[in-house]
Amino acid sequence: MTDERMDGILGAEEELVPSSGFLASVMDQVREEAAAPPPIPFPWKRAVPGFIVAAGVFGWTAMEFARRIGPAVGNVTPLPLQLSAAVVRPLEQAGWVVAAFAVSIASWLLSRRLVR
Amino acid sequence: MNTPAQNAADTVLDADAADVGRVLAGDINAFEGIVRRWQGPLVNMAWRYCRDRARAEELAQEAFVRAWRGLATWRQESSFSTWLFALAANVYRNDLKRFPAVNLPIEEIAEQARAADQQLHLEERSQYEVVRRAVLALPPRYREPVVLFYFHEKDVAAASRTMGLPQGTVKARLSRARELLRRRFPGLERHRMGEEMAGKEAGA
Repeated sequence: MTDERMDGILGAEEELVPSSGFLASVMDQVREEAAAPPPIPFPWKRAVPGFIVAAGVFGWTAMEFARRIGPAVGNVTPLPLQLSAAVVRPLEQAGWVVAAFAVSIASWLLSRRLVR
Repeated sequence: MNTPAQNAADTVLDADAADVGRVLAGDINAFEGIVRRWQGPLVNMAWRYCRDRARAEELAQEAFVRAWRGLATWRQESSFSTWLFALAANVYRNDLKRFPAVNLPIEEIAEQARAADQQLHLEERSQYEVVRRAVLALPPRYREPVVLFYFHEKDVAAASRTMGLPQGTVKARLSRARELLRRRFPGLERHRMGEEMAGKEAGA
């Protein structure tokens, strides 16, 4: 098949005429969107303290983790944190929850970006 | 002095700019003028992406709604049509990523066997449709340049603006797409040559 032949086939398409209700349908949707209340913005001001606490717990967990495996690896200096086991255990678990939360947010943001 | 075609294009440009201004000032009804002017091109463009009339209208409608939402982002550095086509192509591309129009790879699009002479015309029309559908079976990076090149009446510059790619890239992909189609339909040219020979013999 030559380029001319291909041009003849692919270039000579019959024009499609939009259906009679198309314009009205588009305008209906536009008016519907215009009438809808604007989306509720994310409450950043309220969420920021929570994020700071979560980041603190996450950071502390990471440091604790590094402190524990540090001597084995030999290149991380242990931090002088002295907390009782009763406090450390729940905080460790909270760290994992925060980590899972962070991963969820990251994947949600990524999926939003892909959908756009 | 401007040609009538240039004058018509300028009038459309002015009308688009005026309608966009009115919409942004709060007059929703002004958007109707934009839809009226561009519904044909957008539906036809969507049709070339999916070859399904109902879906083409749905896609074009979605493109118009997105255009309405993002009207303020048209900076007027490019023409309204360039902005609108690029936005629509983005909508169509993303939708087809999720729900492809053709699920077969191009290797599996069957080339039709030669029909009896009295059926040649019908067969040719149907063969053309097979070739057009085969375009949808091309890998996405080669499919879109073909769709937009022919939608823009073989204007590489317009196709590249719609895709937001350099012209050289579009030309290279177009060439590769043509190569794939040529390989898939080697018999099409032979059919035509056969018809022409038969016509000459009948005329002699």
